[in-house]
Amino acid sequence: MSLQTSTQFAMKACEKLGADEAEAYAQKTRITEVVLERGEIQSERIKVQQGIGVRVVKKKGLGFAFSSDLTKRSIETTCHNALTLARTSIPNPDWVSLPTAQKLPRAPTGIFDKDVAALSGNDVLSIAIRASGAVKKQDKRAEIDDGKFSAVVSEIAVSNSHGINATQAGTLLTGFLVCLAKERGEVSSMAFEYDISRSMKFSPENIGRSGAEKAVASLRPKATKSFVGKVVLDPDTAADILLSPMIFSVNADNVQRRRSAWMGKLGEKVAVQQFNVIDNGLLPNGIGSSIFDAEGVPRQKTSILTKGVLKGFLHNSFTANKEKRRSTGNASRENYNTLPTVFASNLVVEPGKKKLDEIISMVDKGIIVRRFSGNVRPESGEFSGIAKQASYIERGEIKHPLKETMISGNAFNALMNIITIGRETRPTFMNSYVPPILIDKVNIVAK
Amino acid sequence: MDELNDGVVEGVCCRAMVKGSWGFSSTTSLEEKDIATALKDATSLARTSKPKKKRLAELAEVKPKEDNYTTKIRRDPRKADKEELIRLVKDTDADVRGFSKRIVSDSVVFTVIDDDLTFASSEGTRITQRIVRCIGGVTAIAKEKGNLTSAYEYLGEQSGLEVLEKTPLTHIGQVAAERADKLVSAPLAPGGMFPVILENKIVGLLAHEAVGHCAEADLVHGGSFLSGKLSRKVASDIVTLVDDGRYVGGLGTMKYDDEGVPTERTVIIEKGVVKGFLHSRETAHEFKVHATGNARAWNFEFDPIIRMRNTYIEIGGYSIEELAEGMKEGFFLKGGLGGQADFTGEFMFGTQEAVKIKNGRLGESLRGVTISGNAFEVLKNVDAIGKDFIMRAGMCGKEQINYVGMGGSSLRTKLLLGGGSK
Repeated sequence: MSLQTSTQFAMKACEKLGADEAEAYAQKTRITEVVLERGEIQSERIKVQQGIGVRVVKKKGLGFAFSSDLTKRSIETTCHNALTLARTSIPNPDWVSLPTAQKLPRAPTGIFDKDVAALSGNDVLSIAIRASGAVKKQDKRAEIDDGKFSAVVSEIAVSNSHGINATQAGTLLTGFLVCLAKERGEVSSMAFEYDISRSMKFSPENIGRSGAEKAVASLRPKATKSFVGKVVLDPDTAADILLSPMIFSVNADNVQRRRSAWMGKLGEKVAVQQFNVIDNGLLPNGIGSSIFDAEGVPRQKTSILTKGVLKGFLHNSFTANKEKRRSTGNASRENYNTLPTVFASNLVVEPGKKKLDEIISMVDKGIIVRRFSGNVRPESGEFSGIAKQASYIERGEIKHPLKETMISGNAFNALMNIITIGRETRPTFMNSYVPPILIDKVNIVAK
Repeated sequence: MDELNDGVVEGVCCRAMVKGSWGFSSTTSLEEKDIATALKDATSLARTSKPKKKRLAELAEVKPKEDNYTTKIRRDPRKADKEELIRLVKDTDADVRGFSKRIVSDSVVFTVIDDDLTFASSEGTRITQRIVRCIGGVTAIAKEKGNLTSAYEYLGEQSGLEVLEKTPLTHIGQVAAERADKLVSAPLAPGGMFPVILENKIVGLLAHEAVGHCAEADLVHGGSFLSGKLSRKVASDIVTLVDDGRYVGGLGTMKYDDEGVPTERTVIIEKGVVKGFLHSRETAHEFKVHATGNARAWNFEFDPIIRMRNTYIEIGGYSIEELAEGMKEGFFLKGGLGGQADFTGEFMFGTQEAVKIKNGRLGESLRGVTISGNAFEVLKNVDAIGKDFIMRAGMCGKEQINYVGMGGSSLRTKLLLGGGSK
């Protein structure tokens, strides 16, 4: 049975059982992954995951059930369980309707790559070995702490009782290494390097080379004194510190639940003039791109921040219905066994003009942070943690790597204290495209 | 109410060894032909990857066993009245919202994870285990004059629904609401080195994040802080640290690990001295010791790797007031948040609340910040341990996640607070 046959079969079953509304989301994913640990191959896995999640509404009560078994008998049981739960559940007064069918856009280019789809366990292993070889080639002092390379092929089908009936497929190739360097009994801090791509435009050698380079550069660190000052965040760190509270705050569900710091701030200035952000679900080759979202609603482009002014929130059909507006196509599911939430598709920060070197040259006294190990509180925007892979900058030059240094501040204040946005944008694991960003007034805490 | 979910995920994995090379494959299909494919995939992966592996595995001997184990439960969740559980979640939600005008949002979650596990090996081991875990969590969000803050509290045990008699969900909600309400307009704790009391609820994080990981034999092999330190002193005399696979009610408790090895109580540090490490069959062979039953997999989609079970620092004899005594200026840190550690022993984890201590007296509450340090410096600085021992639920991520127990009593040490400017 194809995935779409499964979801259509579930629709028929739900109708027969007497559901008011129903939706089925089926997924089949094949993940081929290689895990490295201490420079050696620790595991290779081929994982085949499939399953179906059925959402049923009865008298505004919602029930959800899932199963990893796609046989007809199991789908019927799952539909039955979902309906039983819907009847047990307390009616949700905010419930309006599941989404209705809309014309779907053309598939964004580059979301499915047949070469990635054809990668075997042995091919992924070769990719991992190329990355690992590049580490030693770059510098004998460098080693791999751990890493993982995965090739993912997934197929999704969504059907609902309002005529949605859609299917799509995608591929993703990811890899990361955590490297360290050793020299005369000293161990450097751990450096993180990665690549993400929908196609074979993916360089394991770059991951290895850059991971090793960063690790070696952090040898012989020195402490600094505490001060309040400028911090250069590399793309990955900027995503962690600045974008994660933003993604939380533009999520309409959090706005409606009054837990978003940006509730009631549409049209207000929340960041500096030069900060422009859109959510683009149709970005060519985008890591979060697709034809439709987890409810079968078309993906689209949504303005989030224009010249620092808050322009919009991200919706799925439930949050949109609550405000009598259209979903922005941001329903998201981790898997078939979870209900749709709201998440960014590709959150794209508009790059600036300056190269990283030029940004560093602008800093009279500050630090650059390439890895952040800490906590970011999404409601308040407070962040604090260790600045790993950090270096001290003085008079526009990187002076030395730092040890035992923590940073703390508030992400929402930091958005108003952005000095410059760099131009070298990278995709990050947080579905975002981010350049390096220089912020001011951060607490730099030393021992 | 947003969600009422129910579902089953089932699957099979096969791990095959060909002349010292492992291969792994899994499937969510239980059909014979798909399991046969998985076995074939695993075997072929093992064979093809062998020439690329620097180190081949050998396994410590383990006697083949046939056995079964079930979590001790009084109120079986399989027979639970769903409406009663819904009521419980709803009542807690109402309580939290009603706590004060400042509480503007909350979420209440209660989950039962009921696992049926079967393990079979070509050596003849046949084990079935049913492990039942109940986990509940409440997030409360308070708002005042444009300030927003959240507080989080949870419960979790390997137990039937009777866990809710011991720790009512409403009680968890109360703790979260009270903390969010109290801290919404409180200033952030300052940054810098301070003497601190770590609350019992977060001492487990220290035991787990900071020390436990360094004792995982795969990391020891890779050169972790504890590498080569067997029988050496790494902590203060009063610190004994254990990883126990049999702790009753512990979230990480199981009678057998996912290689079919019986679990045990493994002493890592005894009175400050390193006594042992945590092993899989593979590392046990390499280190020439017995397997400790620490090989665990998140589910059938992952191969077992070395993980902690229930990690704790043993109980001491002091009250909180006695721990605060003589502290000129410091903090009593409460409520843990996420953490991380490198195998050098450098760690960080978040705290929710920092109560000021001045001249031995507890004072006002500030918002908690992330704390960091080197685990072993922190443990050397432990000079008093409390008598308020508790075991808590935790989730640990090491490539794959897993349920663990983290325990301890409040203790006194020194740490770096990553807070605001002084």
